[in-house]
Amino acid sequence: MSKPELWVVAERRLDHIEPTTQQLITKATRLAGDHFHVVTVLLEATTDHLEDELQPYGPDEIRIVRDDRFPTATDAELADALKQLIDAAHPNTVLFGATITGRSIAPRLQAKLQTGLTADCLDLRFDDETLVATKPSYGDNIMCEIICPDRRPQMATVRPNTFVAQPQADATPAITTAHITFHPVARLHVTAATPVVNTATTVGDASRVVALGRGAANEDTIASATQLAEKLGGRIGVSRPLTDQDRFTHDDQIGQSGNTIHPDLILNFGISGAVQYLVGMQDSQTIVSVNSDPNAPIFAASDYGYVGDAQAFMTALLAQFA
Amino acid sequence: MKIVVCIKQVPETNDVTIDPHTHNLDRRGLAGVMNPFDKNAVEQALQLKAATDAEVVLLTMGPDDYAQSLREGMAMGADSGVLLSDRAFAGADTLATGYVLAQAIAKIGDVDLIIFGRQAVDADTGQVGPIVAEFLHQPQITYAATLRLSGPNEVTAERLLEDTKQTLVAQLPAVVSVRSELNTPRYPTPRNIQLSFTKPLTTWHHDDLDLDDTRLGQAGSPTIVTKVYAPTPVKRALTPLTGTPQEAASQLIKALKDRQLL
Ligand SMILES: Cc1cc2nc3c(=O)[nH]c(=O)nc-3n(C[C@H](O)[C@H](O)[C@H](O)COP(=O)(O)OP(=O)(O)OC[C@H]3O[C@@H](n4cnc5c(N)ncnc54)[C@H](O)[C@@H]3O)c2cc1C
Ligand SMILES: Cc1cc2nc3c(=O)[nH]c(=O)nc-3n(C[C@H](O)[C@H](O)[C@H](O)COP(=O)(O)OP(=O)(O)OC[C@H]3O[C@@H](n4cnc5c(N)ncnc54)[C@H](O)[C@@H]3O)c2cc1C
Repeated sequence: MSKPELWVVAERRLDHIEPTTQQLITKATRLAGDHFHVVTVLLEATTDHLEDELQPYGPDEIRIVRDDRFPTATDAELADALKQLIDAAHPNTVLFGATITGRSIAPRLQAKLQTGLTADCLDLRFDDETLVATKPSYGDNIMCEIICPDRRPQMATVRPNTFVAQPQADATPAITTAHITFHPVARLHVTAATPVVNTATTVGDASRVVALGRGAANEDTIASATQLAEKLGGRIGVSRPLTDQDRFTHDDQIGQSGNTIHPDLILNFGISGAVQYLVGMQDSQTIVSVNSDPNAPIFAASDYGYVGDAQAFMTALLAQFA
Repeated sequence: MKIVVCIKQVPETNDVTIDPHTHNLDRRGLAGVMNPFDKNAVEQALQLKAATDAEVVLLTMGPDDYAQSLREGMAMGADSGVLLSDRAFAGADTLATGYVLAQAIAKIGDVDLIIFGRQAVDADTGQVGPIVAEFLHQPQITYAATLRLSGPNEVTAERLLEDTKQTLVAQLPAVVSVRSELNTPRYPTPRNIQLSFTKPLTTWHHDDLDLDDTRLGQAGSPTIVTKVYAPTPVKRALTPLTGTPQEAASQLIKALKDRQLL
């Protein structure tokens, strides 16, 4: 008997694969064990080779459909192509990144298939062959678990950077091709697409982070923190209130409405540890926190903690680095 | 031109708590307001109305008190409101919600443009717009950052993807969902508030629409919420750093060296 298929729908981001796709493949292969056949479905142009960016993450199979209209296809056209593939293969589960593209195509596909779709998930697991998807609601104040017990495929969109993509040394996915009939929708056209030049790195790219909160927000402390970040080869991140300062942007923000990060080391200064902050950094490898309030919730989520003044601790740390 | 704006009523604040006994959401005492993102959708429709003399119809599915949000939208300037209210509609997930809205839009008839908010701030899915577009076989432009009429029967929108700005042109009828950056919703004027009570607010129940009963409410919803809880961050075993800042800093440096982080 063949295994049920667990699909990750690959998303294109300009001429590359959207990183969320790779993150989802890593998660899917872990969830699959011996029980599911993990398929990455890739819709690309005849001259593309985006499969090269998927192969290292080790799905069991990369199923490619080629058509030169795919790179500029609209939501309805892509949903139609996926519907045909699903009707041919009957996957058990279909996963999308909760990107703007994923969140636009998946619900159209859901309506075609008359099945369930759980939005913007932060965790996934299987109970036998039933997907249990965890999604936040009420501005991330509440979590809920959602299942789709009776209809297949069961589908979910997953928030970017929720999982960490990990290449596998011995990945040898089967590469197959599939065919669909492209049905153009004449009533909608993309007339221009310009890349938005965005060279800013986000705090999510750093392996060491010095994080500042409202208790570490004055000029001197920010200057010390900048030095400390340089010494550590990292960068500064902030809690949400600090994004009110001109020098910090959303790219610097850690937390559920900012970046979810997993650096090797994070040093939190003057951050109380609100749940919306914690969930954005709790998967960091080593967490160190400095706060003047011994009862600050941040300490319960930390490996090392110091009760005291942020500036004084930073000064002492910098002195010992020199 | 006829524009339908779909609006949802949501709790006034997202600070909901969980009843420790029933493990259900405790929504007692939370007043309902129009989903903030839907105000951007109403505003967009009103700007198109000013440009073309369009008729703007508000549509919502929910309990009778959702009428309040319809009045709010009419006080902003919309022409009429339709409330879809029936016990058979209760407990709907996005698929069952989209189905009833699509059937109601078909009944309203001759609709050129359907505008949705970006997402509802409570359940946060953003799925209802694309579902309605699919059921009505209409093209969709989601997360529009700008929207204008570019021909007698055509809209042009800009859409910001993660790293691409797209311009799209759609022939009407079409479905658009709008980002909040699009506009600043107007406040109702006293005159419009007064006028809103003279504008037509129609309620349609189950029998007023052409519906397949197996697709309604909880029974017609493929998804089930099985558990609701407050997120609890993972706890770690804390090693305190003690003494003066200098002493604590040297303890930390040693610990980080032991962990091969320095
Ligand atoms: C829907 C929603 C989404 C949100 N998303 C995010 C998000 O993504 N990211 C985010 O960060 N927040 C987010 N928040 C806000 C979050 O709830 C908190 O308000 C925020 O994280 C608090 O930031 P803070 O810890 O810097 O400030 P505070 O909570 O004000 O904490 C400051 C801390 O500094 C300490 N302190 C003061 N002086 C000193 C000193 N001299 N030395 C050392 N310590 C000192 C204090 O003891 C205190 O613990 C969100 C909230 C909502 C409702
Ligand atoms: C905690 C929680 C989590 C949920 N998670 C999911 C899930 O993952 N998947 C799922 O299928 N269902 C889910 N639901 C059910 C979902 O909330 C309802 O189906 C709801 O009626 C519509 O979805 P939404 O609130 O996400 O709206 P969205 O899709 O976010 O709303 C987008 C736009 O659609 C319009 N709109 C939405 N609802 C209405 C309405 N009732 N009347 C008129 N216009 C409307 C508005 O313009 C709105 O801005 C969840 C419900 C709860 C309470």
